[in-house]
Amino acid sequence: MESHKEAQLKGVFECHLCGLTAPYSYYGQKPPNTRSVVLLEESYVMKDPFTPDKDKFLILGSQCSLCNRRVCVGTECSLFYCKRFCLPCINENLQAFPLEIRQDLDKKKSHSKSHPSKNADART
Amino acid sequence: MESRAKKRCRDPSPSRGHQGGLWDWSCPETRRRMEELYFREQDYIRAGSEDSCQFWTFFERLQRFQSLKAEREQAVLSPSAQADPSATPGLAGLPQEYDPRYRINLSVLSGDMEELVRGKRGDRRRGSGVPAERLSQFRAALLHYLDFTQKQSFAKLVKLQRERVALPITQYRDRLLRAVAQNQVVVVAGDTGCGKSTQVPQYLLAAGYSHVACTQPRRIACISLAKRVGFESLHQYGDEVGYQIRFESTRSPATKIVFLTEGLLLRQVQREPALPGYQVLIADEVHERHLHSDFLLGVLRRLLPARPDLKLVLMSATINIRLFAGYFGGAPVVQVPGRLFPITIIYQPIPQEEAAANRKPERLDPRPYLRVLQAIDHKYPPEERGDLLIFLSGVAEIGSVLEAAQTYATHTQRWVVLPLHSTLSIAEQDKVFDMPPPGVRKCIVSTNIAETSVTIDGVRFVLDSGKVKELSYDPQAKLQRLQEFWISRASAEQRKGRAGRTGPGVCYRLYAESDYDAFAPYPVPEIQRVALDALVLQMKSMGLGDPRTFPFLEPPPQASLETAVRYLREQGALDGAEGLTPIGNLLAQLPVDVVIGKILVLGSLFRLAGPVLTLAAALSVQSPFLRPMRPDPDCATARRPLESPHGDPLTLLNTFNEWVQVKSERAGGSRKWCRRRGMEEHRLYEAANLRRQFQELLRDHGLLETTAARPRDSYARQSRHRERRELHQLRRRHEETEGRKRKVLKLQEGEAGSTSDEEGAGGDRSRGIDIQDVKFKLRHNVDELQAAAGTALSSNQLTLLKLVLCRGLYPQLAVPDHYNSCRKDSDQIFHTKNKQGIVLHPTCVFAASPELLQVTEKGAAEGRRQDSQEGLSSRHQLLAFVSLLETNKPYLVNCLRVPALQALLLFSRALDTNADCTRLVADSWLELGVPDSEAALRLLASAIQLRAAWEGLLNQQLEGRCGESQRALDPREVATLRQGLLEFLEHEVQYTLHRLTALEKQNLYVGPQTVAAALGLPGLFQGAEMMPDEEKGGYRVTDFLTYNCLAGDADLYSDCLRSFWTCPHCALYMPFTPLERMSHENSCRPQTQEAPPEEVAGSPAKPSALQRPYRCDVCQQDFMFTSTEILRHRKKHP
Ligand SMILES: [Zn+2]
Ligand SMILES: [Zn+2]
Repeated sequence: MESHKEAQLKGVFECHLCGLTAPYSYYGQKPPNTRSVVLLEESYVMKDPFTPDKDKFLILGSQCSLCNRRVCVGTECSLFYCKRFCLPCINENLQAFPLEIRQDLDKKKSHSKSHPSKNADART
Repeated sequence: MESRAKKRCRDPSPSRGHQGGLWDWSCPETRRRMEELYFREQDYIRAGSEDSCQFWTFFERLQRFQSLKAEREQAVLSPSAQADPSATPGLAGLPQEYDPRYRINLSVLSGDMEELVRGKRGDRRRGSGVPAERLSQFRAALLHYLDFTQKQSFAKLVKLQRERVALPITQYRDRLLRAVAQNQVVVVAGDTGCGKSTQVPQYLLAAGYSHVACTQPRRIACISLAKRVGFESLHQYGDEVGYQIRFESTRSPATKIVFLTEGLLLRQVQREPALPGYQVLIADEVHERHLHSDFLLGVLRRLLPARPDLKLVLMSATINIRLFAGYFGGAPVVQVPGRLFPITIIYQPIPQEEAAANRKPERLDPRPYLRVLQAIDHKYPPEERGDLLIFLSGVAEIGSVLEAAQTYATHTQRWVVLPLHSTLSIAEQDKVFDMPPPGVRKCIVSTNIAETSVTIDGVRFVLDSGKVKELSYDPQAKLQRLQEFWISRASAEQRKGRAGRTGPGVCYRLYAESDYDAFAPYPVPEIQRVALDALVLQMKSMGLGDPRTFPFLEPPPQASLETAVRYLREQGALDGAEGLTPIGNLLAQLPVDVVIGKILVLGSLFRLAGPVLTLAAALSVQSPFLRPMRPDPDCATARRPLESPHGDPLTLLNTFNEWVQVKSERAGGSRKWCRRRGMEEHRLYEAANLRRQFQELLRDHGLLETTAARPRDSYARQSRHRERRELHQLRRRHEETEGRKRKVLKLQEGEAGSTSDEEGAGGDRSRGIDIQDVKFKLRHNVDELQAAAGTALSSNQLTLLKLVLCRGLYPQLAVPDHYNSCRKDSDQIFHTKNKQGIVLHPTCVFAASPELLQVTEKGAAEGRRQDSQEGLSSRHQLLAFVSLLETNKPYLVNCLRVPALQALLLFSRALDTNADCTRLVADSWLELGVPDSEAALRLLASAIQLRAAWEGLLNQQLEGRCGESQRALDPREVATLRQGLLEFLEHEVQYTLHRLTALEKQNLYVGPQTVAAALGLPGLFQGAEMMPDEEKGGYRVTDFLTYNCLAGDADLYSDCLRSFWTCPHCALYMPFTPLERMSHENSCRPQTQEAPPEEVAGSPAKPSALQRPYRCDVCQQDFMFTSTEILRHRKKHP
């Protein structure tokens, strides 16, 4: 019973950039009960709360391979390209990334500029 | 590679799908093949699951997208821009040739991969035979799909957290926690949508509080809140969030917060007055002012000083907050604004002339309602979504608006009209949550259930009739009335608010603004309009002292309290000093009506526990029989075999038993069985749960012997074990795939006939699991239930069962009107002591078969009828009923027919006679005329004996259970009583039954007299003193029997009515007055056989209780004689 509980809750993941917090139950590359899936980075993982299937997991985030800060997988915070990179680090090293990724980021920037108040709005 | 090619040749199965080199992804065989490789039992996605369907949909979309992209890229063959990886060491080795695959952070080991990795060739047929490029195409798609589902779920997570943060209450979080830390009681006031119910418990948990209880007025809210809070906290607390309702609990030692009903928390206080198990109590929705909620606040206010460490948080809408804060000594209030979109109010009072022109005032005129539907159609284009919610007062009103609106809907094709009220089946209620097709609006026609209990999203228009039907209680008549009232301003606002939950809305009010201003500010609290029996009983058992002086939040009317106390005294739950009697103490612990509780206790005496448990449970839940808007003949025919000619309670018993049989014979067949009979199965499940609870309660109180677990052979044990394990698996599987998907409504949905919808409740049918059935089998010992249900009652048992029911129900009796035989079936009327002209509820078996109540003589009584009085019969019957309900008419609900004379002799609180007992008046309202005086006396005498014996045994049983020495009842005594009662009921005596008129009641008694005539009479009973009755006149014989007090012919006869009689026991033959005869018979009754011989032997030595001083006037001597001895002595002086 006790060990089961411990497996359930490892700690709370918090994104260094957006402040998203969520409890995680596993950290690593091989989430439990998912034999055929492996993760390509050490990740903070929880059971997917949006499906009743107990074996489905949800990756919350991981460490930026450059600055080692914990960041969430949200596209406003980080990006995976063979490794995890937080957005600030990518912006500092834009030239190291292929064109497609740079274009992607540009697109996102202009998008978030056109809806700047989206987040603030929800808080009032 | 070589071996692969060979394999392909040998393998006969490679699919027809890609024969001739054409690879077809949409071919089922191809897909099956791929699923075999990648969607195995141990894989992340399993073949045939919903997930795999979604994958294939995704796959098709991806292919289309990729082929489009390929075309585009061929056109603009741009040289891939070279990046410069040299700068930072961490960036070295990044592939410069972009491929979307590098963006995915996971990988999959599939069947063929594993094989290759392990170099295993064991199972040839598992070798794929699929071209490598197809495999890699599939793998890539699979990875993209997994990445896509990750993104989807993550987006949901972000949205959920954003929504939580956006709730108005979020900004008050710190203020609230500070207030709770600094005060014992805090009031949180916030309107719909502010998030208090879901967030406050989470804040408290996160702040480190544990052992939190949050009370809710409704069971359903307990479940949904526990789920919601568990979900929002992302199951962070796991099983630390639970709920507890009457029959279900997810509570465990790990539970930190539990949602439970107010009633349940009160029961816990009853057991442990200081509530040691809790640190924080949250009382939610206190503004609704339910009886339990008001009472709970009273109890908690008393408790707080004794538990200074206990925190109490009251949560309320912004209604009358000062009342709550003031009640708790000026508790601080944290006020949170609600979140409603603006709502336009349109007052549309029904024009006077139109209201006056309604020819049938009892039927609601639907025209004003239709006008609103038309107005909406006119003003708002169908693409602008938004449904309509109509509030009406009751089911009949819903019926008439529904009918008219459906006609309109069929005509316009722009509406789906659905009813919503609590007597609908669950499946029908659930339909209001389904989606209308595009361009069509839902019109939900509802009672006030949609005001607070049921929340439907997507409502943009509200149409408020301004009326509500509420049960109001008449303490004088002890009658519940369902009456129509204007709603309060608070309710009107609540109804209006339902239009502004998801966007700006419109509220049409069918009354004037001036009417609104004249409404009462708040609804009448429940405590001021319901019967308080159960409340008073509970207060007594909690030791809260005199309910009249209890500091309620707002005190109930004094008259209601007095009625409740009087009623409990009448029912024997309170004694003369208003203390709890043993039976009252037990009743206080049963969560049922006093009457039902009594039946439970009474039944256990005669080993009728099985049927009585079922009856008590079935009578405590809503009737399973649904009443369709239009009568269905098939359904009526199917129900007929269940109907009992004895009355509705026994019909319920038959129904439950038959249902259990069906359940044990064919698994899952019971749902269909119920549907065919127009029954709501859910209520039978509830009854089964309640039955089990009663059984446990009776066992706990020593009223039911614990059935020694029958030693099962190991095979049976094993198979039972296996069965349970399978059931557990089924339930788990159901829970995993739970969550009813919203369906799209059909245009004709609301119309009659759709009730027999094969879907039943929820969408389980498709998966073939009846989850209710699974839960039922897990919760109950079906074998035991079936054994109890399968044994038919003998006619003696049935007779006793009816007697037990009648004793429990007494004084809820009704007498048929004298002229019923000349009336139409549907016009049969009945009278109770306090209320006249009551009709049978349409569901009642006697409403369909009134002949069961007709007084018909068996055999040829023709000759006798000529010279006999009118109305003379041995088969008069009364109806014992469970409740009296007044809507447009007063109705008797759940009736049982009982023989009138016997029932009245056995159960009347007051029985008054004339001198020769040919006239008897029961409880000053029913007069029995028994021309045969001897028979009357015989019956009266045995009734007195039986009552004493029954009462004695019952008290022994109730007191015995309190003492440590569980003194078992003497089975011989019980058997004697049982036999006696059965014989008593078989007596056939001709009598008349007459309801006293008001005038007759006035002149009923002779009144106090100074006649000493009876002083010389010997004691009528062993130990019973014959005292002149100072009110009625005559003599009090027992606490219920007053002899010779009826005015009229009585006293003229009293002395000269001696006639010769032979005592059947001692063969004494001499003239007796009726009273003398009774007296003799009682003392002469052979009490010998059962009595141990030594007692008889010892008796002459000391004066027995039967002896009394007797002075003989003839021989001038004083004696100590028993009644018999007196008579024997007199015989010596001829
Ligand atoms: Zn983030
Ligand atoms: Zn970084």
